[in-house]
Amino acid sequence: MEQTDAQNYSLFFMSASKPTVKTTVVTLLGMAIALALNLVYAHFSTDNSPDSVAGYVDATVGSILLLLAAMKYSIYRRSRNRGVGDLNGGLNWHISFGILGLFILFLHTFGNFNPRTGTYALYGMIALVISGVIGKIIDRVMPRMVAQQVQKALTAQGEDKIASITQKLQDIAVYNSQELRGFQARDSSMAGLPPTKPKTGKGAAKEQTGKSLVIPSSWDLAYFSLDETPQEMNQQAAQYRFVPDRKSELARPMTYLPGTQEHLEAIEQVQQALQLEQTYRHIIRYWRVLHIFLAFTTIGLTLWHLEYALQLLIPLYIH
Amino acid sequence: MLKMLKPKPVLLHKNGPQVRQEIQACIGCNECLLACPALSEPITINTLNREIVGGTISAPIARFAQACYQCGACVDPCPVGLHRDAMMMWLKVRLLSSGWEE
Repeated sequence: MEQTDAQNYSLFFMSASKPTVKTTVVTLLGMAIALALNLVYAHFSTDNSPDSVAGYVDATVGSILLLLAAMKYSIYRRSRNRGVGDLNGGLNWHISFGILGLFILFLHTFGNFNPRTGTYALYGMIALVISGVIGKIIDRVMPRMVAQQVQKALTAQGEDKIASITQKLQDIAVYNSQELRGFQARDSSMAGLPPTKPKTGKGAAKEQTGKSLVIPSSWDLAYFSLDETPQEMNQQAAQYRFVPDRKSELARPMTYLPGTQEHLEAIEQVQQALQLEQTYRHIIRYWRVLHIFLAFTTIGLTLWHLEYALQLLIPLYIH
Repeated sequence: MLKMLKPKPVLLHKNGPQVRQEIQACIGCNECLLACPALSEPITINTLNREIVGGTISAPIARFAQACYQCGACVDPCPVGLHRDAMMMWLKVRLLSSGWEE
């Protein structure tokens, strides 16, 4: 089936592969169960705080899920024991655990957003998950934009456009240099110039005698005539007076190199496309670095929150 | 961790002849496909190589090309140092520029 250009590589391409469907269902189901359990607890209990039984359960489950999201994918990516296409499943579980973990930790707050360690840890987790979601969008959009720029930088045959344009410019230069050589030829007919008007009088007779392009020899070697020889170009002759005035079409730049300007503009466009390609690739790469940085920051903030919570809890249980 | 902080130079695309040359050099070990987090269905390296070079692009390969997000995870495991990401970019350009037959 032949498809149109827009259908070939659409921006909103969605592939409902088996792992994607499975993990999406598990995530939604997990969120629904967690929400339902918390609502049931809130209905029957008076202690609706992060340090209630439900709060502790939420904190533990949410932390485990986030740890799984971070560790499982990282370990699985480095393992050798997997088949073709399995890593995509691992990535889908990474996303699923990340979203589910954040949701359950959000339930753990019980609407308590005082500026304390736990809130900072939650902000870190929110930033982490949002960066992951944006990263997923970037991963979808940017490669397509890169492909568009690459398309601009390549010819229809897949050759480098810059090389092709450079070749064309070289051809123009060679052509023009050949034309110039033709122009410098002594015989005007060789350069494609119109024939000069025949002169009358003494000069004409001299020219006719010199048509063989041989200087008449003299017995006196010291003799030097100031008269114009046939080899000398008369710069006042009409065919050589090509210096145009300012308004002339010939005064425009690149008049003597037709097509050069267009080619130079095309080269600039290709250079812009290459710069954009590089920028898009940097965005893809550095967004991933940002996501990893946020993951480490969130781990640090969570550990800080755990230490703070343990400082409060340990004396309570000891006494 | 330190390896991650050291930025590698960004490799730009490869042109048609370069991609064909890389495909010819591929030994078909499958390491790139094993390392790919974007590939969700099993495809063979021979099919992928054949369809990158030319001819019609089948639906699974087109889906894979669209899903590829140029992370470069396929480059490091290649025992002969080929750039599978550049080949996939070539396939993306082919998808963009011409129709494909299913």
